[in-house]
Amino acid sequence: MTAPNDLPSLSRREFLALSATTAGLAALGLTACADNHVEIDVDAVTNADHSTDVLVIGGGMAGLFAAVKAHDAGAATLIVSKGRLGSSGLTPFAKGFFVFDPATEPGSIDDFVAAVSRSALGTNNPVYTRQLAEHSLERARELRQWGYFDQTLANRPFMRPIDERKIPLLERVVITHLIKEGGRIAGAAGFRLDAEATITIRAKSVILCTGAGGFKPSGFPVCDLTHDGTVIAYEIGAKVTGKEWNDGHSTRSNNPAACYDNWGDMFGRIPSTNGVEVHHDLGMDINYRAYVMGNPVEGGPGSAQPTKAVVGGPYVPEEFQRSGPPAGGPPGQKGGAPGGPPSGKGKGGAPGGPPPGFAASANVGGASAGMAIHKSEGLVPTNDRCASNIPGLYAAGDALGSHMAGGIYTQIGSSLAGSAVQGAIAGEAAAEYARSVTAPSISAARIAEVKNEILAPLRREAGYGPAWVTHTLQGVMIPNFVLYIKKASMMQAALAYVEELRDHHAPMLRAANMHELRLAFETRNMILSAEMKLRASLMRTESRCSHYRLDYPDVDDDNWRAWINIYRGNDGVMRLEKQPFDAWPEQA
Amino acid sequence: MTIKSIHGCIGCKECVKSCPCDVIRMEHGKAVIAYPADCQICHLCRMYCPVDAIEMAPEKSIPVVLPWG
Repeated sequence: MTAPNDLPSLSRREFLALSATTAGLAALGLTACADNHVEIDVDAVTNADHSTDVLVIGGGMAGLFAAVKAHDAGAATLIVSKGRLGSSGLTPFAKGFFVFDPATEPGSIDDFVAAVSRSALGTNNPVYTRQLAEHSLERARELRQWGYFDQTLANRPFMRPIDERKIPLLERVVITHLIKEGGRIAGAAGFRLDAEATITIRAKSVILCTGAGGFKPSGFPVCDLTHDGTVIAYEIGAKVTGKEWNDGHSTRSNNPAACYDNWGDMFGRIPSTNGVEVHHDLGMDINYRAYVMGNPVEGGPGSAQPTKAVVGGPYVPEEFQRSGPPAGGPPGQKGGAPGGPPSGKGKGGAPGGPPPGFAASANVGGASAGMAIHKSEGLVPTNDRCASNIPGLYAAGDALGSHMAGGIYTQIGSSLAGSAVQGAIAGEAAAEYARSVTAPSISAARIAEVKNEILAPLRREAGYGPAWVTHTLQGVMIPNFVLYIKKASMMQAALAYVEELRDHHAPMLRAANMHELRLAFETRNMILSAEMKLRASLMRTESRCSHYRLDYPDVDDDNWRAWINIYRGNDGVMRLEKQPFDAWPEQA
Repeated sequence: MTIKSIHGCIGCKECVKSCPCDVIRMEHGKAVIAYPADCQICHLCRMYCPVDAIEMAPEKSIPVVLPWG
C-alpha cells in the first residue's frame, strides 16, 4: 500500500477547491493553461562557471568512452549527465554487446559490411558499419576489465575508469543550450535538478552523447530522452539526419506502459556479447499487421503464430525474411529486441521471472514512439571521426546520425557496441581538436542572456503545463496512422498541430520548480523533433526500411538513394536537403 | 501507481540518483515518490535499492497514449 507521505501533498484547502474528478489530474500536473505557483525564488538562483578542454554531455555507453578516451589523449575532460552515469538513457537496459572477433567469425569484415548494406537497402554508412566491427573487440575487452560483464547495474563498472582517472562528473544536470562563439563551439549551459542553480561550462570541444529520444512513450524506457542533443545542436546550426526512420519496438497488451513487463527479467540480467547476426528487424511489419488487422492481439503481432497473411506492407529483402512469428518477439528470443542477448542468463533482478503482479501478454508494436533506429538519427557526421558541421562539436552513439546500422535494425547488439566504439573515436578526435584551439571566451552578456532563457518558464506568472503539452503532443504523434503507417494527408494534419504547439505553446511553457523546468525543456525539444520527423517523412516519397508510406509503398532507387539532412536556415525556418548515400556533406 | 511504495528506506539516495526520470526525491532524510506521473516503470530504483524497500506496480498513474487500441 502507498503510504500517505509518499505522495505530493495537497493542503486541505487546495484539495477542497478541486472537484473530485479533476483533483487527480491536477495534482499530477496534467492541467493546461493556469497560474504558475512558483515554489522557488527565481531571483536567488545562482550560476556556477566551469571550464574544460572537452565537455562530454551524457552518461551512457557513448559518454563513458568519450570521457575516458578524451582524458587518455591528454585533454582536461568533464562529464555532465541529466541522470547518473550508467543509469540513464537506454544504456542500463541494453544487455547485448556485438563483438566482431576475427578468431571466431566464419566471415570477414567485408562480408559483414556487405550483409548490413543488403539488409539496410543501402541506407547504412559503410564507413561507420566497418568501424563498428573493427573496434568492437577492443571496447569489449576494456569493459570486461572494468567488470561490466560481471554484474547487472552499469553504474558501478562505469565508475571504475572514471574514478581511476579522477574525471570530474556532474550528475543530474540538464543541459539546455550549446554556445557557439566566433563560428566554433564555446561551451554549454543548463541547470541543476537538486539545487536552484544554473551552470555555464566553457569548453574547447563538446561531445554530445545525449542519446536519441521519443515522445515519452508507453512501454519503452526512453522517457528521459527527448532528443535534447539534437535540438540544442540544431539551434546553433548543426545538421540533423535520420528523422524519418522508426524504431518498431513492441510492448505488451496488458499494462503497456510497464517497461519492465515488456522486457521480462532482461533488465536484471548481466550483459553478454554476441557475434554477427544480421536481421531486417523491428521495422514496420508488426505495426502494419496491427494497422491492417484492426486488433493487435487477436491473430496479430505477438500471437504465437499469425493465422492470417496480410496483403502489402513494408518490403523485406528475401534473404532477411523469416518464417514463424513476426519480428519483435520478446527479448531473449532469437532476433528479438535490439540490445538483447541471444539467450537469457537470468541472474539478479528477478530470479524466476517477473515480480508479482507482472505477467507476460501479447506483444504489440509502437512502444518507443518517436524514436528512430539506433545510430541512424542525430547529428550529421562530416567525416569518420564523429565531427559535426560545427567546428569542435562532436556526437557519438544515438546522438550521431552515423547510419551505422542503417534505416532499420540490422546487426543484433550493435546499439551498445556502436555507442562504445563511436564514443572512443569522438573522445580522441575532440581531444585532438582541443589541442589545436585556444580557450573560448563567452561574454558576460551572453551568459546573462542564456540564464534568462533557462529560467523563463519559472518566471511566467501563467502558462501551459509541460505535462499537458506533452500529453497533447503524444495524442497527435503516437497513434499508428501518423508516423508508423504514413500518408501525406495525416502527416500534414499532424504538422498543423505541431506548428501550433511550437509557435504558441512552447513559448508559454511554465515551471514551478526544477523538475518542471526539466519537463518544460524536454517538451520543447519533443515538439521540434516531431516537426523534424513529420517534415522528413513527408519529403521521403517512397518506402524503405523502417519508413513506410501507404501513398508511396515501394522502394524508389531512382530518386531516394539518399539521406535527408535537416538544418535551420538563416531565417530560422527548418530546411531539408538530400544527401546521396555514400557521400559526406560539405564542410561549413 | 508505478512505484507503489517505499517502506524501510535507509536514506542512501541510491534510488534518487538511479531514477532516469527524477521521480524520487528526499524528504526528511527518506526517499519519497515526488513525481509519480513521470515514472516509466523501468525498476532501476528497485534494482539499485540495497534494502529492497521499493515495491512496483505495472500501471501508470496518468492516462497513457498508445499507437493502437
